[in-house]
This record gives sequence, structure tokens and C-alpha cells, in this order.
Amino acid sequence: MNFVQNFPAVSILLCLFAGIISSGLKKKAARFVNTVLISIVGFLSLCTLIYVMGTGESFVYVMGMFPAPWGNEIRAGVLEAFTALFFCIIMLLSLAGGRKKLADEVEEGKTFLYYVLMDLLLASLLALVYTNDLFTAYVFVEINTIAACGLIMIRQNGRTIEAAARYMIMSLLGSGLLLMGLCMLYDLTGHLLMSNIKEQIKWVYVSGQYRIPLLVTIALLSVGLAIKSALFPFHAWLPDAYGYSTVSSAAILSSLVSKGYIFLLIKIIYRVVGFEIFYESRIVDVLFVFGLMGMIFGSISAIRENDVRRMIAFSSVAQIGYIYMGIGMGTQAGMEASIFHIFSHAATKSLLFIGAIGLTDVSGGSRQFIELTGSAYRNKWAGVTFTVGSLSMVGVPLFSGFISKLLFAQAAVQNDVKMLPALIILGISTILNAIYFMKTVIRIYTPVEERKYESITFKDMKLYVATLACFIILNVVLGVSSQPIADIIGQGLAMFS
Amino acid sequence: MYYIILSILFPIFTGVYLLVRKEMKSRKNLLMAAGIFFVISAVLVILALCMAGNGLFTLFNLTNRLPILFKIDEVSVVFSVMAVVVIVCAGFFSFAYMKHEGKEKRYYGYYLIVLGVLIALCFAGNLITFYMFFEVLTLSSMPLVLHNGSKEAVMAGLKYLFYSLSGAYMSLFGIYFLERYGNTLTFSPGGVISAEMAVQHGGILLGICFAMLIGFGVKAGMFPMHAWLPAAHPVAPAPASAVLSAVIVKAGVLALVRVVYYIFGVSFLKGSWVQYAWIVLTLTTVFMGSMLAYREPVLKKRLAYSTVSQLSYILFGLSVMNAESVTGGLLHVLSHGFIKGALFLCAGAIIYMTGKTRVDQLRGIGKEMPLLMWCYTIVSLGLIGIPPTGGFISKWYLAQGALLSDIPGFNWIGPVILLISALLTAGYLLPLTIRGFFPGADYDYGTLKKKEPPLIMTVPILILTALSVGIGLFPQIVTNYLSHIVERVI
Repeated sequence: MNFVQNFPAVSILLCLFAGIISSGLKKKAARFVNTVLISIVGFLSLCTLIYVMGTGESFVYVMGMFPAPWGNEIRAGVLEAFTALFFCIIMLLSLAGGRKKLADEVEEGKTFLYYVLMDLLLASLLALVYTNDLFTAYVFVEINTIAACGLIMIRQNGRTIEAAARYMIMSLLGSGLLLMGLCMLYDLTGHLLMSNIKEQIKWVYVSGQYRIPLLVTIALLSVGLAIKSALFPFHAWLPDAYGYSTVSSAAILSSLVSKGYIFLLIKIIYRVVGFEIFYESRIVDVLFVFGLMGMIFGSISAIRENDVRRMIAFSSVAQIGYIYMGIGMGTQAGMEASIFHIFSHAATKSLLFIGAIGLTDVSGGSRQFIELTGSAYRNKWAGVTFTVGSLSMVGVPLFSGFISKLLFAQAAVQNDVKMLPALIILGISTILNAIYFMKTVIRIYTPVEERKYESITFKDMKLYVATLACFIILNVVLGVSSQPIADIIGQGLAMFS
Repeated sequence: MYYIILSILFPIFTGVYLLVRKEMKSRKNLLMAAGIFFVISAVLVILALCMAGNGLFTLFNLTNRLPILFKIDEVSVVFSVMAVVVIVCAGFFSFAYMKHEGKEKRYYGYYLIVLGVLIALCFAGNLITFYMFFEVLTLSSMPLVLHNGSKEAVMAGLKYLFYSLSGAYMSLFGIYFLERYGNTLTFSPGGVISAEMAVQHGGILLGICFAMLIGFGVKAGMFPMHAWLPAAHPVAPAPASAVLSAVIVKAGVLALVRVVYYIFGVSFLKGSWVQYAWIVLTLTTVFMGSMLAYREPVLKKRLAYSTVSQLSYILFGLSVMNAESVTGGLLHVLSHGFIKGALFLCAGAIIYMTGKTRVDQLRGIGKEMPLLMWCYTIVSLGLIGIPPTGGFISKWYLAQGALLSDIPGFNWIGPVILLISALLTAGYLLPLTIRGFFPGADYDYGTLKKKEPPLIMTVPILILTALSVGIGLFPQIVTNYLSHIVERVI
């Protein structure tokens, strides 16, 4: 066994240990541990990525050397390693961008807890990405939920507690459905390891038995994870949770946490149920329709919103809709587009949240549009960043959002039935996105006569500006040289089956 | 080769530089910088046109199948020369005009970016590159519309944005399909649709062609997506309106030239329902634009409606798809560019000197500014199509093309509508001249003051006027050049 093969397991354990150690540390030390941890995990993921790209095949790491079907397995391919690396980058940038703001948002004595929760969140995300075992996946889904709840609630005001309670209820509902699905799978197949379940399911499917239970299982798994990732009719928890939590939490929740669940769903589709059987079940059509509805209704809610943070949050609903639309197309190309959009949206949405906080800070902390007038002149860097994010969301070429749309459309034209609805809704959604994002950009660039609020200078926000620059570069890189990433996604999906 | 990329990036980068740098010490420095940038940009474009040759220049690959590439051909030359001349003239005109509008640094910044993006559009070698810069053009020209920041301007700007984005998405919709059904997205004379594809997927290809015509037609103010144009063009500062109305809308025309003649190809489209539908749309727009202009009292709005009408002359020429009509259309690209540029600059000079915007306020204006009004009259005659101006030649070709075409019905309806519209053009442009020079017996000559605008305003107008007349006096030079294009695409 190659030394590198230990890395995925080691990074999960590292995160858990860092969480435990940080709970006894002071604020600054906890922050330091967290930053170092994310960097190390990112580096380990990079090594894993290079290793699996070199060997050209995925590897399975058996925890504690208990062989299947008893033991607990971790599996790493190109896509898993890349996702882990990408998540680390986004998390690092989001935390750096919100670092200064965190002092205002979280009580002094609780800051270390914030980093403990971050460590645990990273652990659970990595586990969701790497695991080859459904029960482990379920355990870390719960850890993820609890950490995310903590991250919402740690900013103590009435709205966040309400938001966290909502999030908790919806999320537990999702986990409950997921658990029921897992139980039924266990009943049907007698296994918990993904590879074993898949073999059994294939057998069950061919034999023609248990058609209805299988369908119900697939539905439960999909709906459970859809609730957790805020697919359209289940998104009621989202705007408050993203809108009122601390800015880093909002960025991380929207760009990573919901994506972790989607990644798990994609893994279940390929590695547990099997792509063909999932496609045959017609659940894809349901996901497709909900995705399309999300694209429209998410944007409409965002247009009606008067609070910039909640507007960005509602835009997430629309973007999650895009991802499910891609999954719902039921083709390889659609899936690739969805996974690309996971990355593209993660990069853009965290950028928007971090950029927006710079604008609200120079508007007296108010998030209402009327106060934001001219804020891009008071904080130039945040203004530019927000504009870049908006253009990317609208889908202007050279930014990552355009490539997502291109890939979705390319996937759509290959599917004769779903082509027209997908393209038309994609068009409408583009226009709707333009309505609210461009409205905001024009608003922040409208000069104001009286100087109500102070401008901020570069000297006061060096780290913030550096973060923003990294975000913009990341976005443009995704938009300009998307081919290597698309290749990685294709290769990774090939390794799944 | 590198001149191409330099001529695109130089204006864009200098524009961004003007936008991000601090306020200059004096207005003079800013104007000096902007002037130098204009001149260098123009020189770079000319160098690019002379030196670049016919090669493809690939900048980078967006994805494996979608390179961003540039190529200079005859169509690029026609459009880029027109664009550069009008933009530089209007740019120098702005030096005086923008004094009373303010926020000049921002204005020149976006102005230069628009110049660079337009050059990029002219030089774009495939559809995806074109689309990319088409979007950027919308976004970078929007601040020009928004310039004075009034409620009206913001609403007009948003209208412009949403019409353009909707149009751009319809075109993108077509690009998605073409990427699947066409062999390549690179512009090639005669089209890229293979005969086999035309048979197999003819219906769907025609459908997406129509979607792209409507989509790109938004920028060219074609009915039914023309409503943004009369709203957005007049609210911009006058030199910016000149650029919007004379050059930026031509990006839409260029798009249609590229899509129809370089992607779908004449042999595929000629005689199809798309061609007929397109002819109907253009003729509707020609007539409707003239009628609306005729009853519009505000001078700049009147000129904007006139743009709607005149652009569809060009599109009519393109839609008839024979050698004469295409020559006429492309010729009208040049003459309308110079004429409409000059007309808007005249309107700007009038506003700058007198502050009057409505046509009925301008009685006796010819006595106050005789030179300016002479220019106005000459280019007006050009737009109506009276010899020896450029407009006459282009309309001659257009009418001839329509008559020679064997499209039943349209071969005589087309010229008739062109003729009626020409009369309407006379009806909406000439009253200003008539009332301006002959204010009537009750006009009080005692209060008359000479208000001739400063030289920096007059000279650009004179240049544009001279060019528009020049095309009419020596049409051979231009038509010979255009015949190269026409030979290849028809």
C-alpha cells in the first residue's frame, strides 16, 4: 500500500482531533490550529489528487484492516480528491475573508467554539466526500448538521436562533428520511458498504423482486438529501440561515455544506443505486422538475428581497435548482455539468457573501438596498468583487458561471425530451438573475451626494482584499480554463462506476 | 498578428486605467490623456488592418471545442473603419460637450472600453468569441446610458440591459444548437452548415436561425425588440448617443451579417420561411420607425427613432440576399454610421449652445449657427437619399436589389416602402432646416446672436459630413471593395 493512500483517512482524523484540541484552546490558538489544519488537509488532498491521477484508478482504504463486508472503508478517486481540495480552498478563503468581521459577530469568549465547529464541519465534509460506507455517511451527515446549526447559532441574536431552529427541524427531517432509506437498503441487501450494496441491488433489480421498496428507497434517499441541500420546495430554512449567520458561516454553508450533501447524493446514484437503475426509477424526472421550479422561484424570491444578504441566499435556491436540473437530465453530460456547477457556484457564492459584507460594513451595517447606494465607492475592492460575482452569476463569458451554463446547455441539447424546458428555463432564469444582480450592481455604483458613511482604505483591510483577489482569480480561472476541471470531473465519474 | 490583440487590449486597458486611477489634477490633463489614447487606438487599429493578414489568431481555449480566436476579413475592415472614425470624432467632440455633463473620467474610461470591445467584435473569428464581446459591449456601454444618473436614465439603462440580455440569450440558445449540429463555429464565407445536416435537421436549424435573428436583432433595433433603443439612446450624453446610434447598434448588424452569411450561409437560407419572415420584420421596422420619428417632438428622440428605421434598411438589404442588396446594405452601414454620428453631434452642439431639445423651440437656429445647420442639412439630405450623398448610392443599391430579387410580392413592396420611408425621413428631418433658416416674418432678428459652437465641436461634424458626401461622390472605391465580400458570400 502506498503511503499516500493513508492521506484521506488521516485528514478526517486530523480534523476530528483538531476539533477536540481546539475546545481547550484560546481564541487565537484555535484560529491558528484551524488555519493550519485546513492548509494541511488541502495539501494532503492535493497529494492524493496527484497520486490518483498518476495511477489512473481509485483506491480503497480499509479502516482498521477489517475486510469487507464488516469493516469501514474509505475510497478516493480523482473527483473525491479534487472536491476535498476545492472545499479546503473555499473554506480557507471564506474564513480569511470573514475573520475581521467575526470579532463583531461572535462574543469574545465563544470564538474558539467557532473554530471547533469549523474543524468538525470540515471533518464531516471530508467524510461525506470520501466514505465508501453508508452508515459512516449517515453519522457524518448528523455531525455536519449539528456543526452547521452551531455555526448559525453562534452569532447570538433572535433571528439566528429562529433560523437555527428551522434549519435543525428541516435538516433532521432530511436526515430522518435518509436514515429510513438506508434502513430499507440494509433490509433489501444486507450490506452497508457501497460496493456490496450495488452488487446486490443489481441482482435484486434483475430478478425483478422488490420493485416498489426499491423505488421508495431511492425516493427517500433523494428527497432526504434534497431537503438537506435546500432543493426548491424544501428551501424555507435557507434564507434566514444564510442571511443572519456570521458571514463566514453563510459563505461556507451555502457553498460547501449543501454541496457536500449533493456530492453524497451523486455518490449514492453512481456507487450505491447504479446510474441505470436510478435513471429507470424516474426519480430523475422529479428532481428535474423541482430543479427547474427552483431556478424560477428562487430568482423570483430574490428579486422581491430588499436585503442584500437574503437576496444572495435566495439566489442559492436558484443555483441549487440548476444543479438538480443537471442531475435530473439523467445523462452523463448533465451530471458533469452539475458537478462543475457545484464548484463554480461554491466559488461564486462565497465570493458574493464575502464581497457583500464589505459593502454593508461601509453602509452602517445596514443590509437594505437603500443604504447600500454608492457603497462600491466607499469600499472599492468589495464593489469590484461583488460585480465580478454578479457577472458570473448572470453568466457572462470569462467567468465561471458562463461555463456552467454552457455545460448545462450542451447537456440539454443531447436530451431530446428535456431539451426545450431546460433551455427555456435556463434563459428565463438568466434574465431573472440579471434583474436582481444588475439592479444591485447599479445601486452600489450610484453615487450619493451627501457623505453619510466613511470610506474604508486599503490599509484597514489587507487580508480582506487579499482574499477577494484570490476569489476573483479562482472565478476567472474556472471561467477561462475550465477544460482541465471538466476532464477531472469526467475522469472522476468514470472511476465511480 | 500581435497588432490584433494590441488594438483590442490597448483601449480596454487604458479605459480601465482611467476608471481606476485617482481624479486627475486638472481637466486638461484628463483630456490630453484621453486624446492621446484615442489617437493611439486608432493608429493601432489601422496597423492591425494593414499588417495582420488573413491568419487566425487563437488567444486561448475556453473549452476544447471553443477557442477564442480573431481573424480580420473584409467585413471586419468595413465595420472597424466606420467604428473608429465615428468614435474618434465623437470622442474629440466630447472634449467640449462633456464640460457641462461632468464625471468625465468615468465617461472616457467606459468610452475607451467600448472602443476596444467594438474592435474585438469586428475582429472576432468565431461565434463564441463574438458572443463573449457582445455581452461585454452591452455591459460596458450601459454606463454611457446611465451617465447622468437620473431616474429616467436608470430606467432606460435597465431597459437596455434586459432587452440586450434577452436577445443575447436567444442567440446563445442558437449557439448551443449550432455547436451540436454545425461543423464548427468559426466564421467562414458561405456558411458552415453541411448539405447533409441541412437535410437532416433543416427544420430545427431554421428555427434556431430565426431565434438568433431576433436575438441579435435586439441590438440592431429590429421589430419586435426595438423598444429599448428610443429610450436608451437619447438619455445618454450627445456624443455617447452618437456612438450608440451610429456604431454600437452596428454590432447587431455585424452579428446578423456573421450569422446569416458566415454561419448559416445564403444557400441554406435563401427561399426559406426565415428569409421571408425576416424581410417582413425589417420592412415593418423601416415603416414603423419612420412613422414614430415623424411624430416625435424631441430632436434626440426623433433621431433615435430614425436609427430604428434606418438600421432596418440595412437589414432589409441583408435579408434580400442578392449581390446588389447586400452591397447596398453594407454601403448603408458606412453612410448611416457617418450621417447618424453627424446628426447626433449636431443635436449635441445645439443642446450645448442653446439648451433647447425640442424641434419646435429651434426656430431660427440656422441664423444662429449657420455652419452647423449647413452640415445638418447636408447629412439630412444624405439620410433621405438625395444625390450626390452616400445615402443615395446605398438606397439605389437596396432598391435595385429588391427589384432584381425574384421574391414574389416583396420585389415591389420593398422599394415602395423604402420610398415612403424616404419621404417620411424628409418629413422629420427637414422641418428643422426649413424653420431654422426661414423662421418666418414674425421672427425677431433683433435678439439674434451668433452661437457657432467651438472648433473642437465643429471639426468632427465637418469630417463626418465630408465622409458621408465623399461616399456619394466616389462610390466606386467602396463598392469595388464591397464586391469582394459579396462575391464570397453570395
